[in-house]
Amino acid sequence: MTAFMQQIINGLSIGSVYALMAVGYSLVYSIMNFSNFAHGGVIMMGAYIGFFLLTAFKLPFLIAFGLAGVGTGVLALVIERIAYSPLRKRNAPFLYFIISAMGASIFLENIVVATIGPTFKTYPRIFSPEPIAVGNLSIGRLDLIMCVISTISLAALIYVIEKTKVGTAIRATAYSVRASALMGVNTDQIIMIVFGLGGLLGGIAGVLFGMKYTVYPQIGFITMKSFIAAVFGGLGSLPGAVIGSILLGIIETLTSGYISSQYRDLIAFALLIFILIVRPIGLMGKTTEDKA
Amino acid sequence: MLKVENLQVYYGGIHALRGVNINVEQGQIVSIIGANGAGKSTFLNALSGIIRPKEGKISFKGKSLPQIPYKIVAAGISQVPEGRLVFANLTVKDNLMMGAYLRKDKHGIEKDLGKVFELFPRMAERVDQPAGTLSGGEQQMLAIGRGLMSNPDLILLDEPSLGLAPLLVKTIFEIIKDIKKLNKTILLVEQNAYKALSIADKAYVLEQGRIVKTGTGSELIKDPSIQEAYLGKTLKSYRSND
Ligand SMILES: Nc1ncnc2c1ncn2[C@@H]1O[C@H](COP(=O)(O)OP(=O)(O)OP(=O)(O)O)[C@@H](O)[C@H]1O
Ligand SMILES: [Mg+2]
Repeated sequence: MTAFMQQIINGLSIGSVYALMAVGYSLVYSIMNFSNFAHGGVIMMGAYIGFFLLTAFKLPFLIAFGLAGVGTGVLALVIERIAYSPLRKRNAPFLYFIISAMGASIFLENIVVATIGPTFKTYPRIFSPEPIAVGNLSIGRLDLIMCVISTISLAALIYVIEKTKVGTAIRATAYSVRASALMGVNTDQIIMIVFGLGGLLGGIAGVLFGMKYTVYPQIGFITMKSFIAAVFGGLGSLPGAVIGSILLGIIETLTSGYISSQYRDLIAFALLIFILIVRPIGLMGKTTEDKA
Repeated sequence: MLKVENLQVYYGGIHALRGVNINVEQGQIVSIIGANGAGKSTFLNALSGIIRPKEGKISFKGKSLPQIPYKIVAAGISQVPEGRLVFANLTVKDNLMMGAYLRKDKHGIEKDLGKVFELFPRMAERVDQPAGTLSGGEQQMLAIGRGLMSNPDLILLDEPSLGLAPLLVKTIFEIIKDIKKLNKTILLVEQNAYKALSIADKAYVLEQGRIVKTGTGSELIKDPSIQEAYLGKTLKSYRSND
Protein backbone atom coordinates (compact mmCIF):
# COMPACT_ATOMS: atom_id res chain seq x y z
CA MET A 1 0.00 0.00 0.00
CA THR A 2 2.76 2.43 0.89
CA ALA A 3 4.57 1.63 -2.34
CA PHE A 4 1.38 2.24 -4.25
CA MET A 5 0.77 5.58 -2.55
CA GLN A 6 4.38 6.49 -3.29
CA GLN A 7 3.77 5.85 -6.98
CA ILE A 8 0.61 7.96 -6.91
CA ILE A 9 2.52 10.87 -5.39
CA ASN A 10 5.24 10.62 -8.02
CA GLY A 11 2.53 10.40 -10.64
CA LEU A 12 0.85 13.55 -9.37
CA SER A 13 4.13 15.38 -9.47
CA ILE A 14 5.04 14.54 -13.07
CA GLY A 15 1.37 14.78 -14.05
CA SER A 16 1.24 18.37 -12.83
CA VAL A 17 4.17 19.23 -15.10
CA TYR A 18 2.41 17.55 -18.03
CA ALA A 19 -0.61 19.68 -17.18
CA LEU A 20 1.48 22.85 -17.56
CA MET A 21 2.53 21.67 -20.98
CA ALA A 22 -0.88 20.34 -21.99
CA VAL A 23 -2.77 23.57 -21.36
CA GLY A 24 -0.59 25.17 -24.04
CA TYR A 25 -1.83 22.66 -26.61
CA SER A 26 -5.39 23.03 -25.38
CA LEU A 27 -5.51 26.82 -25.37
CA VAL A 28 -4.29 27.07 -28.94
CA TYR A 29 -6.55 24.26 -30.06
CA SER A 30 -9.59 25.83 -28.41
CA ILE A 31 -9.31 28.89 -30.66
CA MET A 32 -7.54 27.74 -33.79
CA ASN A 33 -8.69 24.10 -33.99
CA PHE A 34 -5.26 22.73 -34.75
CA SER A 35 -2.62 21.02 -32.68
CA ASN A 36 0.40 23.25 -32.33
CA PHE A 37 3.20 20.71 -32.52
CA ALA A 38 5.78 23.48 -32.24
CA HIS A 39 4.82 23.65 -28.55
CA GLY A 40 7.19 20.78 -27.78
CA GLY A 41 10.05 22.79 -29.28
CA VAL A 42 9.07 25.76 -27.12
CA ILE A 43 9.11 23.57 -24.01
CA MET A 44 12.56 22.26 -24.98
CA MET A 45 13.84 25.82 -25.39
CA GLY A 46 12.51 26.59 -21.92
CA ALA A 47 14.54 23.73 -20.51
CA TYR A 48 17.70 25.08 -22.20
CA ILE A 49 17.10 28.68 -21.21
CA GLY A 50 16.61 27.61 -17.58
CA PHE A 51 19.72 25.46 -17.74
CA PHE A 52 21.94 28.29 -18.97
CA LEU A 53 20.47 30.83 -16.60
CA LEU A 54 21.26 28.52 -13.70
CA THR A 55 24.70 27.38 -14.84
CA ALA A 56 26.29 30.15 -16.92
CA PHE A 57 24.59 33.06 -15.14
CA LYS A 58 24.09 31.41 -11.77
CA LEU A 59 20.77 33.13 -11.26
CA PRO A 60 18.53 32.22 -8.31
CA PHE A 61 16.18 29.49 -9.44
CA LEU A 62 12.90 31.42 -9.15
CA ILE A 63 14.31 34.14 -11.38
CA ALA A 64 15.50 31.49 -13.81
CA PHE A 65 11.93 30.16 -13.94
CA GLY A 66 10.50 33.57 -14.57
CA LEU A 67 12.97 34.47 -17.29
CA ALA A 68 12.66 31.08 -19.00
CA GLY A 69 8.88 31.56 -19.03
CA VAL A 70 9.17 35.05 -20.48
CA GLY A 71 11.66 33.81 -23.07
CA THR A 72 9.44 30.98 -24.25
CA GLY A 73 6.34 33.19 -24.15
CA VAL A 74 8.07 35.52 -26.59
CA LEU A 75 9.34 32.58 -28.64
CA ALA A 76 5.81 31.17 -28.96
CA LEU A 77 4.61 34.58 -30.13
CA VAL A 78 7.35 34.81 -32.72
CA ILE A 79 6.44 31.34 -34.01
CA GLU A 80 2.81 32.42 -34.27
CA ARG A 81 3.76 35.52 -36.25
CA ILE A 82 6.13 33.72 -38.60
CA ALA A 83 4.64 30.26 -38.99
CA TYR A 84 0.88 30.69 -38.53
CA SER A 85 -0.21 34.29 -38.91
CA PRO A 86 0.49 34.41 -42.67
CA LEU A 87 -1.49 31.17 -43.10
CA ARG A 88 -4.39 32.57 -41.08
CA LYS A 89 -4.53 35.68 -43.21
CA ARG A 90 -4.91 33.48 -46.28
CA ASN A 91 -7.45 31.13 -44.68
CA ALA A 92 -5.13 28.21 -45.41
CA PRO A 93 -6.36 24.64 -44.79
CA PHE A 94 -5.54 23.04 -41.42
CA LEU A 95 -3.01 20.71 -42.97
CA TYR A 96 -0.80 23.71 -43.75
CA PHE A 97 -0.81 24.70 -40.10
CA ILE A 98 0.24 21.23 -39.03
CA ILE A 99 3.06 21.18 -41.57
CA SER A 100 4.16 24.64 -40.53
CA ALA A 101 4.10 23.55 -36.87
CA MET A 102 6.25 20.52 -37.61
CA GLY A 103 8.63 22.70 -39.57
CA ALA A 104 8.99 25.08 -36.65
CA SER A 105 9.53 22.20 -34.28
CA ILE A 106 12.23 20.57 -36.44
CA PHE A 107 13.86 23.96 -36.90
CA LEU A 108 14.09 24.55 -33.14
CA GLU A 109 15.46 21.09 -32.48
CA ASN A 110 18.11 21.43 -35.14
CA ILE A 111 19.17 24.88 -34.18
CA VAL A 112 19.87 23.54 -30.69
CA VAL A 113 21.78 20.54 -32.07
CA ALA A 114 23.81 22.83 -34.30
CA THR A 115 24.66 25.49 -31.74
CA ILE A 116 24.62 23.81 -28.33
CA GLY A 117 25.13 20.22 -29.42
CA PRO A 118 23.21 16.98 -29.21
CA THR A 119 24.52 15.88 -25.81
CA PHE A 120 22.60 15.55 -22.58
CA LYS A 121 23.00 18.35 -20.04
CA THR A 122 22.31 17.92 -16.39
CA TYR A 123 20.84 20.69 -14.30
CA PRO A 124 22.91 21.67 -11.26
CA ARG A 125 21.57 20.25 -8.02
CA ILE A 126 19.48 22.92 -6.38
CA PHE A 127 17.51 20.92 -3.86
CA SER A 128 18.89 18.41 -1.44
CA PRO A 129 18.18 14.88 -2.66
CA GLU A 130 17.09 14.05 0.88
CA PRO A 131 13.34 13.39 0.66
CA ILE A 132 10.82 14.75 3.12
CA ALA A 133 9.17 12.07 5.21
CA VAL A 134 5.42 12.24 5.66
CA GLY A 135 4.32 9.26 7.72
CA ASN A 136 5.47 6.19 5.81
CA LEU A 137 5.85 8.10 2.60
CA SER A 138 8.82 10.03 1.42
CA ILE A 139 8.37 12.91 -0.94
CA GLY A 140 11.27 14.13 -3.02
CA ARG A 141 11.96 17.83 -2.60
CA LEU A 142 12.07 18.34 -6.35
CA ASP A 143 8.78 16.47 -6.77
CA LEU A 144 7.22 18.74 -4.21
CA ILE A 145 8.58 21.86 -5.94
CA MET A 146 7.28 20.58 -9.27
CA CYS A 147 3.84 20.16 -7.81
CA VAL A 148 3.82 23.54 -6.09
CA ILE A 149 5.10 25.57 -9.05
CA SER A 150 2.76 23.79 -11.47
CA THR A 151 -0.24 24.26 -9.23
CA ILE A 152 0.46 27.96 -8.72
CA SER A 153 0.99 28.52 -12.44
CA LEU A 154 -2.17 26.62 -13.37
CA ALA A 155 -4.20 28.45 -10.75
CA ALA A 156 -2.96 31.76 -12.15
CA LEU A 157 -3.90 30.67 -15.66
CA ILE A 158 -7.37 29.55 -14.61
CA TYR A 159 -7.85 32.84 -12.78
CA VAL A 160 -6.98 34.77 -15.94
CA ILE A 161 -9.25 32.67 -18.14
CA GLU A 162 -12.23 32.54 -15.79
CA LYS A 163 -12.16 35.86 -13.98
CA THR A 164 -10.69 38.55 -16.18
CA LYS A 165 -12.08 40.44 -19.13
CA VAL A 166 -9.38 39.21 -21.48
CA GLY A 167 -10.10 35.66 -20.23
CA THR A 168 -13.78 36.08 -21.10
CA ALA A 169 -12.73 37.27 -24.54
CA ILE A 170 -10.50 34.19 -24.91
CA ARG A 171 -13.45 31.93 -24.05
CA ALA A 172 -15.72 33.86 -26.39
CA THR A 173 -13.19 33.63 -29.22
CA ALA A 174 -12.82 29.89 -28.56
CA TYR A 175 -16.55 29.57 -29.09
CA SER A 176 -16.69 31.69 -32.25
CA VAL A 177 -13.93 33.81 -33.73
CA ARG A 178 -16.42 35.62 -35.95
CA ALA A 179 -18.91 36.47 -33.22
CA SER A 180 -16.07 37.64 -31.05
CA ALA A 181 -14.76 39.91 -33.79
CA LEU A 182 -18.28 41.31 -34.20
CA MET A 183 -18.21 42.27 -30.51
CA GLY A 184 -15.14 44.40 -31.10
CA VAL A 185 -12.55 41.89 -29.95
CA ASN A 186 -9.23 42.17 -31.72
CA THR A 187 -9.08 38.43 -32.35
CA ASP A 188 -5.57 38.62 -33.73
CA GLN A 189 -4.44 39.99 -30.40
CA ILE A 190 -6.35 37.26 -28.52
CA ILE A 191 -4.55 34.62 -30.55
CA MET A 192 -1.22 36.21 -29.68
CA ILE A 193 -2.14 36.30 -25.99
CA VAL A 194 -3.07 32.64 -26.11
CA PHE A 195 0.25 31.71 -27.70
CA GLY A 196 2.09 33.87 -25.18
CA LEU A 197 0.34 32.25 -22.21
CA GLY A 198 0.92 28.74 -23.58
CA GLY A 199 4.58 29.53 -24.20
CA LEU A 200 5.01 31.01 -20.73
CA LEU A 201 3.65 27.94 -18.96
CA GLY A 202 5.45 25.65 -21.41
CA GLY A 203 8.79 27.27 -20.56
CA ILE A 204 8.23 26.86 -16.83
CA ALA A 205 7.29 23.23 -17.46
CA GLY A 206 10.44 22.79 -19.55
CA VAL A 207 12.63 23.94 -16.67
CA LEU A 208 10.88 21.55 -14.26
CA PHE A 209 11.18 18.72 -16.75
CA GLY A 210 14.87 19.45 -17.28
CA MET A 211 15.48 19.47 -13.54
CA LYS A 212 13.68 16.17 -13.08
CA TYR A 213 15.40 14.39 -15.97
CA THR A 214 18.00 16.01 -18.21
CA VAL A 215 18.09 18.47 -21.08
CA TYR A 216 18.56 17.33 -24.66
CA PRO A 217 17.27 18.46 -28.05
CA GLN A 218 14.60 15.74 -28.35
CA ILE A 219 12.75 16.81 -25.21
CA GLY A 220 10.25 18.41 -27.53
CA PHE A 221 9.26 15.02 -28.85
CA ILE A 222 9.02 13.38 -25.45
CA THR A 223 6.87 16.19 -24.09
CA MET A 224 4.45 15.35 -26.83
CA LYS A 225 3.10 13.00 -24.19
CA SER A 226 1.46 16.05 -22.68
CA PHE A 227 -0.34 16.39 -25.99
CA ILE A 228 -1.66 12.88 -25.38
CA ALA A 229 -2.86 14.08 -22.02
CA ALA A 230 -4.62 17.02 -23.65
CA VAL A 231 -6.32 14.69 -26.13
CA PHE A 232 -7.17 12.30 -23.31
CA GLY A 233 -8.84 15.08 -21.32
CA GLY A 234 -10.42 16.55 -24.44
CA LEU A 235 -8.53 18.98 -26.63
CA GLY A 236 -9.67 22.53 -26.13
CA SER A 237 -10.79 22.01 -22.54
CA LEU A 238 -8.53 23.36 -19.78
CA PRO A 239 -9.95 21.21 -16.96
CA GLY A 240 -9.73 18.30 -19.39
CA ALA A 241 -6.06 18.99 -20.05
CA VAL A 242 -5.29 19.10 -16.33
CA ILE A 243 -7.22 15.95 -15.47
CA GLY A 244 -5.83 14.10 -18.50
CA SER A 245 -2.30 15.07 -17.49
CA ILE A 246 -2.64 13.95 -13.89
CA LEU A 247 -4.08 10.63 -15.05
CA LEU A 248 -1.27 10.22 -17.58
CA GLY A 249 1.33 10.96 -14.87
CA ILE A 250 -0.18 8.35 -12.59
CA ILE A 251 -0.52 5.74 -15.36
CA GLU A 252 3.12 6.31 -16.25
CA THR A 253 4.50 5.94 -12.77
CA LEU A 254 2.35 2.88 -12.12
CA THR A 255 3.66 1.35 -15.35
CA SER A 256 7.24 2.09 -14.34
CA GLY A 257 6.67 0.85 -10.85
CA TYR A 258 4.76 -2.35 -11.53
CA ILE A 259 5.66 -3.34 -15.09
CA SER A 260 8.81 -1.73 -16.39
CA SER A 261 9.86 1.80 -17.15
CA GLN A 262 10.65 0.62 -20.67
CA TYR A 263 6.93 0.23 -21.30
CA ARG A 264 6.14 3.70 -20.00
CA ASP A 265 6.07 5.59 -23.30
CA LEU A 266 4.73 2.61 -25.19
CA ILE A 267 1.70 2.55 -22.94
CA ALA A 268 1.27 6.32 -23.14
CA PHE A 269 1.16 6.31 -26.94
CA ALA A 270 -1.02 3.19 -27.03
CA LEU A 271 -3.41 5.08 -24.79
CA LEU A 272 -3.55 7.93 -27.31
CA ILE A 273 -4.52 5.61 -30.14
CA PHE A 274 -7.06 3.88 -27.93
CA ILE A 275 -8.72 7.18 -26.97
CA LEU A 276 -8.82 8.39 -30.53
CA ILE A 277 -10.66 5.21 -31.44
CA VAL A 278 -13.17 4.94 -28.61
CA ARG A 279 -13.78 8.53 -27.59
CA PRO A 280 -12.18 11.02 -29.95
CA ILE A 281 -13.47 14.05 -28.07
CA GLY A 282 -11.74 12.92 -24.87
CA LEU A 283 -13.12 13.17 -21.35
CA MET A 284 -14.41 16.74 -21.59
CA GLY A 285 -13.55 17.88 -25.10
CA LYS A 286 -15.44 20.31 -27.25
CA THR A 287 -17.20 18.50 -30.05
CA THR A 288 -15.59 18.94 -33.40
CA GLU A 289 -15.15 16.97 -36.56
CA ASP A 290 -11.65 18.16 -37.18
CA LYS A 291 -9.06 16.76 -34.82
CA ALA A 292 -5.99 17.56 -36.85
CA MET B 1 -25.19 58.44 -42.02
CA LEU B 2 -24.14 55.32 -43.91
CA LYS B 3 -23.40 55.55 -47.58
CA VAL B 4 -22.38 52.53 -49.63
CA GLU B 5 -21.31 52.90 -53.22
CA ASN B 6 -20.67 50.23 -55.80
CA LEU B 7 -19.90 47.45 -53.31
CA GLN B 8 -18.48 44.38 -55.03
CA VAL B 9 -17.83 41.15 -53.14
CA TYR B 10 -16.49 37.88 -54.48
CA TYR B 11 -16.17 34.46 -52.85
CA GLY B 12 -13.46 33.02 -55.04
CA GLY B 13 -15.20 32.90 -58.41
CA ILE B 14 -18.68 33.64 -57.06
CA HIS B 15 -19.70 37.25 -57.60
CA ALA B 16 -21.93 37.69 -54.54
CA LEU B 17 -22.47 41.47 -54.53
CA ARG B 18 -22.54 43.21 -57.89
CA GLY B 19 -22.29 46.88 -57.17
CA VAL B 20 -24.60 47.62 -54.25
CA ASN B 21 -25.53 51.24 -53.48
CA ILE B 22 -27.32 52.07 -50.26
CA ASN B 23 -27.99 55.15 -48.22
CA VAL B 24 -29.10 55.11 -44.59
CA GLU B 25 -30.18 58.29 -42.83
CA GLN B 26 -29.76 58.90 -39.12
CA GLY B 27 -32.69 57.61 -37.05
CA GLN B 28 -34.24 55.51 -39.80
CA ILE B 29 -35.19 51.87 -40.00
CA VAL B 30 -33.91 50.68 -43.36
CA SER B 31 -34.86 47.18 -44.52
CA ILE B 32 -33.23 45.05 -47.17
CA ILE B 33 -35.37 42.19 -48.35
CA GLY B 34 -34.27 39.37 -50.57
CA ALA B 35 -34.57 35.65 -51.12
CA ASN B 36 -32.14 32.96 -49.93
CA GLY B 37 -28.71 33.57 -51.35
CA ALA B 38 -29.48 37.10 -52.56
CA GLY B 39 -26.41 38.37 -50.68
CA LYS B 40 -28.01 39.93 -47.60
CA SER B 41 -25.64 38.42 -45.04
CA THR B 42 -22.73 39.03 -47.36
CA PHE B 43 -23.65 42.70 -47.43
CA LEU B 44 -23.81 43.00 -43.64
CA ASN B 45 -20.57 41.07 -43.23
CA ALA B 46 -18.86 43.37 -45.68
CA LEU B 47 -20.05 46.34 -43.61
CA SER B 48 -18.74 44.67 -40.42
CA GLY B 49 -15.35 43.93 -41.96
CA ILE B 50 -15.78 40.15 -41.79
CA ILE B 51 -15.51 39.96 -45.56
CA ARG B 52 -13.29 42.28 -47.54
CA PRO B 53 -14.99 43.77 -50.59
CA LYS B 54 -13.09 43.82 -53.83
CA GLU B 55 -14.37 47.24 -54.73
CA GLY B 56 -16.61 49.94 -53.38
CA LYS B 57 -16.77 52.84 -50.97
CA ILE B 58 -18.33 52.76 -47.53
CA SER B 59 -18.59 55.97 -45.59
CA PHE B 60 -20.06 56.28 -42.13
CA LYS B 61 -20.80 59.56 -40.39
CA GLY B 62 -18.99 61.34 -43.19
CA LYS B 63 -15.78 59.35 -42.83
CA SER B 64 -14.50 56.36 -44.70
CA LEU B 65 -15.22 53.20 -42.65
CA PRO B 66 -12.22 51.20 -41.40
CA GLN B 67 -11.91 47.61 -42.67
CA ILE B 68 -11.13 45.75 -39.45
CA PRO B 69 -14.07 44.38 -37.43
CA TYR B 70 -13.09 45.78 -34.03
CA LYS B 71 -12.41 49.21 -35.49
CA ILE B 72 -15.83 49.16 -37.12
CA VAL B 73 -17.45 48.38 -33.77
CA ALA B 74 -15.46 51.22 -32.25
CA ALA B 75 -16.71 53.50 -35.01
CA GLY B 76 -20.29 52.78 -33.88
CA ILE B 77 -21.63 49.89 -35.95
CA SER B 78 -22.61 46.59 -34.39
CA GLN B 79 -24.05 43.49 -35.98
CA VAL B 80 -26.50 40.92 -34.65
CA PRO B 81 -25.52 38.01 -36.88
CA GLU B 82 -27.73 35.51 -38.62
CA GLY B 83 -28.18 32.43 -36.43
CA ARG B 84 -27.54 34.57 -33.32
CA LEU B 85 -24.07 33.22 -32.55
CA VAL B 86 -24.47 33.83 -28.84
CA PHE B 87 -21.51 32.51 -26.84
CA ALA B 88 -23.10 29.27 -25.65
CA ASN B 89 -20.26 28.64 -23.18
CA LEU B 90 -20.67 32.02 -21.48
CA THR B 91 -23.38 33.20 -19.12
CA VAL B 92 -26.04 35.66 -20.24
CA LYS B 93 -24.26 38.40 -18.30
CA ASP B 94 -20.88 37.62 -19.84
CA ASN B 95 -22.45 37.60 -23.30
CA LEU B 96 -23.83 41.07 -22.68
CA MET B 97 -20.49 42.24 -21.28
CA MET B 98 -18.76 40.95 -24.41
CA GLY B 99 -21.03 43.30 -26.31
CA ALA B 100 -19.52 46.13 -24.30
CA TYR B 101 -15.98 44.81 -24.79
CA LEU B 102 -14.49 48.02 -26.18
CA ARG B 103 -16.11 50.34 -23.67
CA LYS B 104 -14.41 51.78 -20.63
CA ASP B 105 -17.27 53.91 -19.24
CA LYS B 106 -18.53 51.80 -16.34
CA HIS B 107 -21.55 54.04 -15.74
CA GLY B 108 -22.62 54.00 -19.36
CA ILE B 109 -22.30 50.22 -19.44
CA GLU B 110 -24.47 49.85 -16.34
CA LYS B 111 -27.04 52.20 -17.84
CA ASP B 112 -27.19 50.30 -21.12
CA LEU B 113 -27.40 47.01 -19.26
CA GLY B 114 -30.45 48.44 -17.53
CA LYS B 115 -31.96 49.40 -20.89
CA VAL B 116 -31.37 45.91 -22.27
CA PHE B 117 -33.07 44.39 -19.23
CA GLU B 118 -35.99 46.76 -19.78
CA LEU B 119 -36.33 45.61 -23.39
CA PHE B 120 -35.83 41.96 -22.42
CA PRO B 121 -36.95 41.40 -18.83
CA ARG B 122 -36.35 37.70 -19.28
CA MET B 123 -32.60 38.30 -19.66
CA ALA B 124 -32.52 39.88 -16.20
CA GLU B 125 -33.90 36.67 -14.72
CA ARG B 126 -31.29 34.58 -16.49
CA VAL B 127 -28.08 36.53 -15.98
CA ASP B 128 -26.12 33.59 -14.61
CA GLN B 129 -27.47 30.97 -16.99
CA PRO B 130 -25.16 29.69 -19.76
CA ALA B 131 -26.45 31.14 -23.03
CA GLY B 132 -26.39 27.70 -24.65
CA THR B 133 -29.30 26.64 -22.45
CA LEU B 134 -31.60 29.45 -23.59
CA SER B 135 -34.42 28.76 -26.06
CA GLY B 136 -34.07 29.96 -29.64
CA GLY B 137 -36.20 33.04 -29.01
CA GLU B 138 -34.31 33.91 -25.86
CA GLN B 139 -31.03 33.54 -27.71
CA GLN B 140 -32.27 35.99 -30.34
CA MET B 141 -33.15 38.46 -27.59
CA LEU B 142 -29.75 37.98 -26.03
CA ALA B 143 -28.06 38.48 -29.39
CA ILE B 144 -29.94 41.75 -29.90
CA GLY B 145 -29.19 42.87 -26.36
CA ARG B 146 -25.54 42.03 -26.84
CA GLY B 147 -25.52 44.04 -30.06
CA LEU B 148 -26.90 47.05 -28.18
CA MET B 149 -24.28 46.86 -25.43
CA SER B 150 -21.62 48.51 -27.56
CA ASN B 151 -23.97 51.51 -27.65
CA PRO B 152 -23.86 51.60 -31.44
CA ASP B 153 -25.20 54.42 -33.58
CA LEU B 154 -26.09 51.91 -36.28
CA ILE B 155 -27.20 48.36 -35.55
CA LEU B 156 -27.24 45.71 -38.29
CA LEU B 157 -29.84 42.98 -37.77
CA ASP B 158 -29.51 39.83 -39.88
CA GLU B 159 -32.83 38.00 -40.07
CA PRO B 160 -33.81 38.43 -36.43
CA SER B 161 -37.13 36.65 -37.01
CA LEU B 162 -35.52 33.51 -38.45
CA GLY B 163 -36.92 30.33 -36.93
CA LEU B 164 -39.19 32.04 -34.41
CA ALA B 165 -42.88 31.36 -33.78
CA PRO B 166 -45.27 34.03 -35.20
CA LEU B 167 -46.04 35.52 -31.79
CA LEU B 168 -42.35 35.90 -31.04
CA VAL B 169 -41.75 37.39 -34.47
CA LYS B 170 -44.26 40.05 -33.60
CA THR B 171 -42.49 40.75 -30.30
CA ILE B 172 -39.14 41.04 -32.04
CA PHE B 173 -40.47 43.59 -34.51
CA GLU B 174 -42.05 45.58 -31.66
CA ILE B 175 -38.64 45.59 -30.02
CA ILE B 176 -36.99 46.84 -33.19
CA LYS B 177 -39.34 49.82 -33.07
CA ASP B 178 -38.40 50.34 -29.41
CA ILE B 179 -34.74 50.31 -30.38
CA LYS B 180 -35.42 53.05 -32.88
CA LYS B 181 -36.88 55.10 -30.03
CA LEU B 182 -33.55 54.70 -28.22
CA ASN B 183 -32.17 56.95 -30.94
CA LYS B 184 -30.51 54.18 -32.91
CA THR B 185 -30.39 53.74 -36.64
CA ILE B 186 -31.32 50.27 -37.81
CA LEU B 187 -30.36 48.36 -40.91
CA LEU B 188 -32.54 45.27 -41.05
CA VAL B 189 -32.12 42.35 -43.40
CA GLU B 190 -35.07 39.98 -43.73
CA GLN B 191 -36.78 37.30 -45.71
CA ASN B 192 -39.95 38.12 -43.81
CA ALA B 193 -40.73 40.84 -46.31
CA TYR B 194 -44.12 41.98 -45.05
CA LYS B 195 -42.94 42.64 -41.51
CA ALA B 196 -39.68 44.17 -42.65
CA LEU B 197 -41.41 46.53 -45.09
CA SER B 198 -44.11 47.56 -42.67
CA ILE B 199 -41.69 48.94 -40.09
CA ALA B 200 -39.23 50.39 -42.63
CA ASP B 201 -38.79 54.07 -43.34
CA LYS B 202 -36.95 53.03 -46.45
CA ALA B 203 -36.39 49.67 -48.08
CA TYR B 204 -34.31 48.01 -50.73
CA VAL B 205 -34.88 44.81 -52.66
CA LEU B 206 -31.76 42.73 -53.21
CA GLU B 207 -31.75 40.10 -55.95
CA GLN B 208 -28.69 38.08 -56.89
CA GLY B 209 -26.28 40.64 -55.54
CA ARG B 210 -27.99 43.68 -57.03
CA ILE B 211 -30.40 46.25 -55.66
CA VAL B 212 -33.37 46.02 -58.00
CA LYS B 213 -35.82 48.29 -56.26
CA THR B 214 -35.99 50.94 -53.58
CA GLY B 215 -38.64 53.09 -51.96
CA THR B 216 -40.37 53.73 -48.67
CA GLY B 217 -41.70 50.68 -46.85
CA SER B 218 -45.31 51.48 -47.70
CA GLU B 219 -44.51 52.11 -51.36
CA LEU B 220 -42.90 48.73 -51.72
CA ILE B 221 -45.69 46.93 -49.89
CA LYS B 222 -48.10 48.31 -52.49
CA ASP B 223 -45.84 47.54 -55.45
CA PRO B 224 -47.48 44.76 -57.50
CA SER B 225 -44.21 43.11 -58.54
CA ILE B 226 -43.06 43.00 -54.91
CA GLN B 227 -46.42 41.65 -53.82
CA GLU B 228 -46.12 38.87 -56.32
CA ALA B 229 -42.52 37.96 -55.63
CA TYR B 230 -42.23 38.51 -51.89
CA LEU B 231 -45.63 39.04 -50.32
CA GLY B 232 -47.87 36.63 -52.21
CA LYS B 233 -48.37 34.15 -49.45
CA THR B 234 -46.98 36.03 -46.51
CA LEU B 235 -49.48 38.86 -46.80
CA LYS B 236 -52.43 36.58 -46.30
CA SER B 237 -50.87 34.55 -43.55
CA TYR B 238 -49.78 37.63 -41.63
CA ARG B 239 -53.15 39.28 -41.96
CA SER B 240 -54.69 36.28 -40.28
CA ASN B 241 -52.05 36.40 -37.57
CA ASP B 242 -52.20 40.07 -36.79
N1 LIG C 1 -18.23 31.67 -47.40
C1 LIG C 1 -18.76 31.58 -48.63
N2 LIG C 1 -18.09 30.96 -49.62
C2 LIG C 1 -18.61 30.87 -50.86
N3 LIG C 1 -19.82 31.34 -51.21
C3 LIG C 1 -20.54 31.97 -50.27
C4 LIG C 1 -20.05 32.11 -48.92
N4 LIG C 1 -20.98 32.76 -48.21
C5 LIG C 1 -22.00 33.02 -49.06
N5 LIG C 1 -21.73 32.54 -50.29
C6 LIG C 1 -22.59 32.65 -51.48
O1 LIG C 1 -22.88 34.02 -51.70
C7 LIG C 1 -24.25 34.20 -52.03
C8 LIG C 1 -24.91 35.12 -51.04
O2 LIG C 1 -24.98 34.50 -49.77
P1 LIG C 1 -25.56 35.20 -48.47
O3 LIG C 1 -25.28 34.33 -47.31
O4 LIG C 1 -25.08 36.58 -48.41
O5 LIG C 1 -27.13 35.18 -48.80
P2 LIG C 1 -28.34 35.65 -47.91
O6 LIG C 1 -29.08 36.62 -48.73
O7 LIG C 1 -27.89 36.07 -46.57
O8 LIG C 1 -29.20 34.32 -47.84
P3 LIG C 1 -30.06 33.73 -46.60
O9 LIG C 1 -31.37 34.44 -46.63
O10 LIG C 1 -30.21 32.29 -46.97
O11 LIG C 1 -29.31 33.95 -45.34
C9 LIG C 1 -24.85 32.80 -52.07
O12 LIG C 1 -24.85 32.37 -53.40
C10 LIG C 1 -23.92 31.97 -51.27
O13 LIG C 1 -23.90 30.64 -51.72
MG1 LIG D 1 -28.19 35.40 -44.71
